[in-house]
Amino acid sequence: MPLLDVKDLSVTFARRGQRTVRAVDGVSFSVEAGEVVGLVGESGCGKSVTSLALMGLLPKQRGVTVGGSAMFGDTDLLKTDERTMRDIRGRDVAMIFQDPLSSLNPVVPIGVQVTEVLARHRGLTGAKATAEAADLLNRVGIPDPTRRLKEYPHQLSGGMRQRALIAMAVACAPKLLIADEPTTALDVTIQAQILELLRDLVRDSGTALVMITHDLGVVAGMCDTVNVLYAGRVVESARRKPLFAEPRHPYTTGLLGSVPRLDSGKGAAARDPRFGAGRPAVAGRVRVRPALRPPCRRLCR
Amino acid sequence: MIRFIVRRLLQLIPTLFGLSILLFIWLRRLPGGPETAILGERGTPELRAQIRKNLGLDEPLLIQYGRFMKRMLQLDLGTSISTKREVMTEFLERFPGTVELTITAMIIAIGVGIPLGYLAARRRGSFLDSASVGGSLIGICVPVFFLAYVLKAIFSENLHLFPSSGRQDPTLGATRITNFFVLDGLMTREWDAALDALWHLVLPGIALASIPLAIIVRITRASVLEVLSEDYVRTAQSKGLTERTIRGRHILRNAMLPIVTVIGLLTGGLLSGAVLTETVFAFSGIGAFLYEAIANRDYPVLMGFIMIIAVFYVLVNLLVDVSYSLIDPRVRVR
Repeated sequence: MPLLDVKDLSVTFARRGQRTVRAVDGVSFSVEAGEVVGLVGESGCGKSVTSLALMGLLPKQRGVTVGGSAMFGDTDLLKTDERTMRDIRGRDVAMIFQDPLSSLNPVVPIGVQVTEVLARHRGLTGAKATAEAADLLNRVGIPDPTRRLKEYPHQLSGGMRQRALIAMAVACAPKLLIADEPTTALDVTIQAQILELLRDLVRDSGTALVMITHDLGVVAGMCDTVNVLYAGRVVESARRKPLFAEPRHPYTTGLLGSVPRLDSGKGAAARDPRFGAGRPAVAGRVRVRPALRPPCRRLCR
Repeated sequence: MIRFIVRRLLQLIPTLFGLSILLFIWLRRLPGGPETAILGERGTPELRAQIRKNLGLDEPLLIQYGRFMKRMLQLDLGTSISTKREVMTEFLERFPGTVELTITAMIIAIGVGIPLGYLAARRRGSFLDSASVGGSLIGICVPVFFLAYVLKAIFSENLHLFPSSGRQDPTLGATRITNFFVLDGLMTREWDAALDALWHLVLPGIALASIPLAIIVRITRASVLEVLSEDYVRTAQSKGLTERTIRGRHILRNAMLPIVTVIGLLTGGLLSGAVLTETVFAFSGIGAFLYEAIANRDYPVLMGFIMIIAVFYVLVNLLVDVSYSLIDPRVRVR
């Protein structure tokens, strides 16, 4: 039995006077314990809404409807009452967000933001909680944790903030971690560090990870299973290797093709069968191939 | 922090200096003068000139101002033209009443306004939201003196729940120390006197609180709505925190800055007296006295009172600025 089994998840936003938006439309996927599952797709394909729906964090307003089921053990995350969800959140299922600066409360010291989770779910207070928080910061690679605990988010660097958020998320050793584009707001060198940290944490603790991203590099480096989302639907679901070797859905092909490549030599894209090389040029519409200079990406046309 | 406070206090000096010049010129430019108030319309020109001379008003403005400044530097505010008592004595007698009234009104406005504004924001679009937004609009629109009369008619004259006028029942013969009647009662352990003074504050306090309350409800609602859409509130929810922690630590603390600013401005405004409320409830604060001083062109009283009120206004806003840095660590006072 999988750790999380999402079946036919759908989320619609209805507003008076406007067209109803189906942000997520019948998404199904499952996560085994300790597995890293990727949800990949372009902006607006429903990745983040899926994660918020699983956490029960979508705005509770008229017009927002969530359908389907998401079995986490014996509980359906989509139908459980708010009280139970509050116990589950942060303890069994935790989440890491995209922008570490805006995701941290600017007027509360980092230490308090870490210890409040410990107090809520593990009953730790006072010196015990502080010691545990320092230990957590240390585990996520923040140097001089005792000093950092007293600091405010604006005093930390971007990578440090994301590490602090990760520390809060793993504070109660959750069974499932949802990371919503955890590296998008960071610069490239920090991205690699954060991914490595996540990979290590997940491997050491056996936590399952749902990695939401539009970055195929992240997917290639981390995920065991990949679900490709497009317009609110899962268009392809596969293990990582087959997905990269033989994508089946044209959208996946396009997504893979949209990654700019530096390593492939001259004309490599043209020879790659996935990008439709050898297709004859339409006379009169596109300049004939020899007229294009060799390194052009559109050579295949 | 201390350097910031000291610097702000030093800034008070040029502020007060500028204010004194403006006030001085403005008051002397008003048509009529104290002699008209004393003599009425019928005084002969000779008599008028005589009075102006006695009051030293016939000298050039610069000399009059110089004399005023000299006294001011010795903290002597002069003598009231109409009551013939020292301006400082008049002030110390009346200002405590205004302060008590201001504190009461602000406690009511903050105590009701912030929770109401918060709930309205959390339940946006609900009946409570519409009611508090609409109610606050009414609160701003209804003239204070009208509300004061209505309160007086209902709660004092019909239901006899609260006294209708004054600051304290004079038959109690309470001891006076600071002229803050509630404080005096507590200090002398005359509990009945303290309670009676408190009781006298309720109705005028409510009347005076109406506009600040409405403003605080609106600003709290707007500020909380803005914070609610912040990412860190979602983070707090994703941690499974209790509603109480999310409300206090993550929402209200961040929403506090604009609310504190408005509270500071409103408090400063109330400290300059509430003529209408004081009049309806025959409450002896500085409002009614100032009003009379303007009518009588009582220059020393006007100058003295307004200068002291300005000091308090600056102090209240200094307090607001200091509290910013306590609320938000990113605000560094320098």
